[in-house]
Parts: sequence; C-alpha cells; structure tokens
Amino acid sequence: MPVLELKDVHKSYRSHLSIRKHWVLRGLSLSIEPGEIFGFIGTNGAGKTTTIKLALGLIFPDAGSVTLFGQEGVPAEARRRVGFLPENPYLYDYLTGEEFLDFHARLFGIDAPTRRARVRELLGRVGLANRGDRQLRHYSKGMLQRIGLAQALINDPDLVILDEPMSGLDPIGRREVRDIILELKSRGRTIFFSTHILSDTEMICDRVGLLVRGSLKAVGRIDELVSRDIPYWEVALQGVKNGNLPCGQVVSRRDDRLLVRVESPADMHRILATLNGGGAQLVSVTPGRQSLEDLFIREARASAAVPAESPERHAR
Amino acid sequence: MARALALNPRRGMALCALTGLLLAVLVQGRLEASRPAGAVHPLLYLPSGKYLRAVSLGFDGLVADMIYLWSIQYYGNFDIKDRYSYLEHIYGQVITELDPHYLDPYLVGALIMSAEARQPEMALRLLDKGVNNNPDQWIVAFEAGFLCYDELHDYKRAAYYFRRASEIPGAHPLVRRLYAEMYNRAGDKRTSLKEWSEIYDSSDDPYVRNVAWNHVHDLKVDVDLHDLKEAVSRFSDKAGRPPARLGELVTAGIAGALPLDPEERDYLYDARTGDVRYRGSLVLGR
Amino acid sequence: MLARINAIALNTFREAIRHRILYLLLIFAVAMISFAQILSLVTVGSEEKIIKDFGLATIDIFGVLTAVFIGIGLVSREIERRTVYTLLAKPLHRFEFILGKFAGLALTLVVNTSVMTAWFFLVLLLKGMFDANLAAAVLLLYFQFLLITAIAVLFSCLSTPILASVMTLALYVIGHLLWSLDLLAVRLTATWGKAFCRVLYLVLPNLGTFDIKGEVVHGVPIDAARIAWAAAYLVLYGSAILGTACALFERKELQ
Repeated sequence: MPVLELKDVHKSYRSHLSIRKHWVLRGLSLSIEPGEIFGFIGTNGAGKTTTIKLALGLIFPDAGSVTLFGQEGVPAEARRRVGFLPENPYLYDYLTGEEFLDFHARLFGIDAPTRRARVRELLGRVGLANRGDRQLRHYSKGMLQRIGLAQALINDPDLVILDEPMSGLDPIGRREVRDIILELKSRGRTIFFSTHILSDTEMICDRVGLLVRGSLKAVGRIDELVSRDIPYWEVALQGVKNGNLPCGQVVSRRDDRLLVRVESPADMHRILATLNGGGAQLVSVTPGRQSLEDLFIREARASAAVPAESPERHAR
Repeated sequence: MARALALNPRRGMALCALTGLLLAVLVQGRLEASRPAGAVHPLLYLPSGKYLRAVSLGFDGLVADMIYLWSIQYYGNFDIKDRYSYLEHIYGQVITELDPHYLDPYLVGALIMSAEARQPEMALRLLDKGVNNNPDQWIVAFEAGFLCYDELHDYKRAAYYFRRASEIPGAHPLVRRLYAEMYNRAGDKRTSLKEWSEIYDSSDDPYVRNVAWNHVHDLKVDVDLHDLKEAVSRFSDKAGRPPARLGELVTAGIAGALPLDPEERDYLYDARTGDVRYRGSLVLGR
Repeated sequence: MLARINAIALNTFREAIRHRILYLLLIFAVAMISFAQILSLVTVGSEEKIIKDFGLATIDIFGVLTAVFIGIGLVSREIERRTVYTLLAKPLHRFEFILGKFAGLALTLVVNTSVMTAWFFLVLLLKGMFDANLAAAVLLLYFQFLLITAIAVLFSCLSTPILASVMTLALYVIGHLLWSLDLLAVRLTATWGKAFCRVLYLVLPNLGTFDIKGEVVHGVPIDAARIAWAAAYLVLYGSAILGTACALFERKELQ
C-alpha cells in the first residue's frame, strides 16, 4: 500500500489581477511505495513544490485526491509519521539550534527526556554537534540546511519529504545528505525528494518522476526509463574527404576526424558503406548511453512545442 | 574648510547638518519674536467637550486634564492681553463637558472668572453646572456660596448655596454656621437666631457650642430689642403716649410676656425717649 | 492538543520577548508614568487625578500598541517568512496554530501589563494615592488588549501586515465610538435606518465595555458584576473572532 498517493490531481492558481486560471498541475497521478527513494525532477515552475505542498495538506487540489498513509485529504494525524524539509527553509532566527529542534519535537508530544536525547543525537547526525547553543540568526546557509534536515527527522519519520535538500550545500555537505538518505532507506524508511541536480538522482534513487509543465512525463526506474529510449551509436571516422554523409548527425569535426551520431543500425551500415569508396577509415563505434539529462531535455523541449492551458492532458 | 571637506566628506556632511540645524533654530526664534503675544491660541477654538469625545477615544479624563493644565498656564500669563474672551467656553463647555466630575476646573475656573476677569455671574453659572453635575461634592456649592457672600454681598443667594452645601454628607460643619450667619447678614435675624439655636442644640463640640452661643446671645438681644421697640411703638400709637414701664405692655395686652435678656435680667427702658436698651454688652461687638 | 497549543504559545512568547521593540515600548511606558509626576507639579489643584489619568492612559495605549503591532504579524509574518510550512507539516491542527499564537501574545501582554502596572502602583503607593479599584481598571484594560489581539490575529490571517494594522486600528477607533451610533439612530427618521444603526451597534466590538478609567479615578465604586459582564463579553466576542480566524485559516492556501 503506497505511503503517498496522488490521483488525477489538478491544481490552478489565479493571480490577483487576472480572472484567468493558470494551471500548475494537470491530472497528476503518482504513488510512492514504502521503502523506496523517489527522486522528483522537473523544469523550473513545473509544479514540484506544488506537488509536495499538496502531499502535505498545505494547499488543496482543485480536483483529484491526495492520500497520505491511507488517509485522504491529509488530516493532521496523517502527518505524524512524516518529516518535511522545505526549499530555503526560513527558520526562527531568534531561537538557538537546540531550542528550535526542541520546539518541533514538542509538537509530536514527545516527552522531555526523549526530546533532549533526540535533539542531541540529531545535531550530531547532521554535523552540528557543537553549534546547538547558537542562535539560528548566526548560522550559515549550509548550517541552516542541516538544522532544517534535523528538524525533518526529529520524529523518526517513516516518510521523509525533502524539497531541494542539496541546495546551498558544498560537495561535502551533499555527500553527507546523500549518506543520510541512504541510511534512512537501509532502515526501511521512504524518501521522496525533489531536485535539480540529476547526478544525485542517478546515484541514489530507486525511481524517478519527471514533471514538465504540470504533467508527469516519465515515471519509473531509471534503467527502465533511460533504456526505453532509442540508443544511438557514435561513429568516429577518419579521412572523410567530402562532408556529405548519407545520414547521421555530425557531432564534432577535428582535422580530418569526424564524429557522427546515427540512431539505427541501418543508418550505421549505410555510413560504413560509403567509407569504402571514399578512402575514409573507421576509427571506432561506440554505443551511446542515454542519460537522464537527455531524457529531461528532450521531454522539456517536446512540451515547449505544445500549447499549454489544457487540463485534459494526462500522465503516461 | 574645502580642504576639510575634501579630506573627509563625512565630516563635511556632519558640519552641514549642524549648521542647518543652528540656522533653523535661529529662524524659529526670529519667527516667534515677530509674532506678538496674541490672545489667539488654537486651543481656544476647540469644540464643545461633547464633540471632543469623538476624538478622545475613551481618554476623556486625560484630555480634560491636558486642556485644564494648558488653560491655567494660558490664563495665568499676564502678557496676553484680552485673554478672557473664551473663558466661559473653555471651562464651561470644553473641559467640564469632557469630564463633568473633574472638580478643579469648576473651582479654579470660577476663581479666574470672578477674581481676574471680574465676571462673578459667569463664575456662578460655572459653579451651578458643577453643583448639578456633582451633587455629592459640597465644596462646589460652598464656593458658590462664598462667592455670593464675599464678592456680590448677595446674602440670600449665599444662604441658598450654603444650605445646599451643608446638606451634602461630609460637608464641613463650618458651612452650616455660615448658612446660619447669612440670614443675619441679610437682615433676617429671627431666622438666623433659629438656625444658630439649632446648631447650639445639635452640637457636642464645645468649640461649636461656644461659637453658637455667642451668636445666639447677640441675636437674641437684637430680636428682643426689636420686638420690644415695636411693641412700645404700637402702645404709643394706641394709647397716645409711651408706656411708663415695660410692664404696661403686658397689662395692655400688647405683649404676651416680657422677654429677659440672655443673662436673665430685664431690658432697660427709658420712658422719656421710649428707648429700650440692653444693659450688658454684645459678645461679638457688632 | 493542549501540549501543542502550549508549545506554539511558548514559542510565540519567546519570540515576542526577544523582540527589541518590546523593551523600547516598556521603557517608554515607564518614562511616561514618571512624566506624569512632573506634569502634576504644574497643576493648580489635585495632582492625584492627573497622575492616575496619565498612568492608566499610558498602560492603555501601550498595551493596545503591543497587541496591534505584534498581533498583526503573528500569522502573516510566519506565512511571509515560510516558517509556517515546517510547522504545519507536523501533526498540528491549523486551529491549534491560531490558538497557540493568540495564547503566546496573551502571555506577553500579561508580562507587559504587569510591569507597567507595578511601576504605576509603586509611584502611587509612594505618594499615598493608591486605590485598589485601579486594579479593576487595569484588569478590564487587559480584557481590551485580548480582544484587540483576537481581532489582529483575524486580520493577520486575511492580509498583509500593513493592511491588517490599518483595519485593526480602524476597529479600535470604531470600538470606542459606538456611542455615536446611538446618537445617530436617534436622529434618523427611517425605521430601517434606526434598525441598521442598532444592529451595527450590537455587532461591532464595543470597547467601551472595558473602559472604567473615568469611574475609578473619580472614586466611583466598581461592583464585581460589572467585571463579570465584561469578562463574559470578552469570552463570547473573542471566541467568535478567533473561531472565524480558525475557520478562515483552515482552508487557507499557503503559497
């Protein structure tokens, strides 16, 4: 049974000055299974943060349903086992790190001794062990991100939702966050996070979802998504006299070395056939591996070509 | 100075600021000196307290205090000529409408009106208002009474106010005595005697009894002498001649019984002049 | 539920206490009460009335200012600064958040009012002018602060701090001018006009209920029933306001 399920969710905003609705999410359906790390990627303004806010009951869908831990409409109790880190968390800068975590722990009804222990443990885990007594107004951006993460884990949640968790962190910090996420997974927790940084997604996610302009263009395991795409071959040639090739795309040209990309075996054979007559030589043939980035860019481009504002488009 | 500016622009700016301030202060001083110490002050044009309540938002008492404080500075400023034009408006309509139970404006306002502006009737109007708004405060009626007594020499009115004041619980006992005395001043010695006698009878305080007795003594003499003289006159009219002795008044049926003086002696009678006299001396020597 | 409201309340209290503006206001208030002493030297007549009027007015004004200027930011600042997201992602009901914020400011006002009142009473005691009824006046002023806080919280949910402050202050002024509606009703001839005025008079917050400053300064005895009625009005009207705020906040989209 999925921990989080969105069914055919539509969400629109209406700006103050216009009467027209601007659709942010159109028919989004998504389900997050227990124990997985799900990466949510998408273009800017695609609706990732909106989806997360819908999942937490911070905003409400125009149509469709949101179910969290089996409870529809996200009542307060459903959030008991959830931890959330928003993008650019603004925190109470007059509180110290310890007071901040303690305050959030109280909201779960955790008793005082447990709270103290938990706060200390979490501060250590996010690398802020000695900074707990300083006011948050004196924290650096990286430190704020860490304390935000600590706050998200204060109740030892089963589902952790992170909106751009790596933002503001240096590579060391990002490695630490990745480690924390993997450690959570090893203990059977579910992690749902959104990010711009595709390499992080490729490294740790079980599944990804690609959101473009309010629709889910692709969802599934990375190897399935990427391998579904048509592979290509990169053919390196030497000594091609005239630049005319029967097919394929010239990727680069240096001196008389040519790198050509072909998309099907038939095309490859056609190119190889022209070589014999022209005095050109085959240097290498490399099968191309599609990356997530290619998928991303392709889907984004495809979507940009289609007119918007129609809520009938559904996710695959 | 240019070099200083060039060297340190901040110092230059500070210097400009200071100079600007000094010049502004000088100009302000010049402005104020050129304006005569006129009688016109914006606060004089305040609307009635009833309407001021709309802007005081529940702080009526405080606003009344502030206007009162201003008013005693204003009216105490002898440099301002003709400052009394709005006197009744300020005290009668502004301050006392805002806070009808604030006593100082009635008392001090009346003082200014009578002693400085020479308008005792205006003062009495103000004090009347004070009496009506504060029926539990004897001092206001007392002030009114005193004003009638001391300034206007209108003893009947004074008596009215003193009586009102004395009826209020907590009034100073002196007020009662003044009330009694007012009748005397007004010429109604009989009533005065009656009141003084009541005071004497109803008091336990030896001082009060002493004072009362003194008045009763003298008033009794005055009243008795008046009655006797009036009886002698009636006898003379009837019999065509003055009586030979005071006892004749009784036998002729003109008087019921001859009053004795406070020392229980007879009054002296001179048959030749028809004059009745008291053989002792008046205590209060009036 | 109470534990969560408590947590939010204490946090709100902590934020307010660490606000430097609060100390400025307090120092000002204490200075004003002391200033009353100086003013009283200028009067001809009773200085007691001046000191008492001034002291009560100071407590009144500064309490209202605190209630308004912290109150309007209670909800809107959290939304603006996005701190509300991490809070509402917890198993916290939205109405608990509102009530907690209100309770936190109520607690701050207790501290504020107590400090000002303590100083005021000290001055009076030293001058031998103390009157126990003044405590009743301050208590009713505190009820007023609470009602204004509730109104500020409501407007804080609805709009930006600037608009909220304008609307709350407007209601404060109206609340003290309701007596003029009665006057207007008398002058109007049409029955619907009179009825309308009457309805407005009853529905708008009647802040005059909490104003016994004049009576106390003039030594009029205050009976317990008066205080009880004022408390009842506070509880009922305040619940209505807070209930509306909670209802509005329940479905508010937190962008």
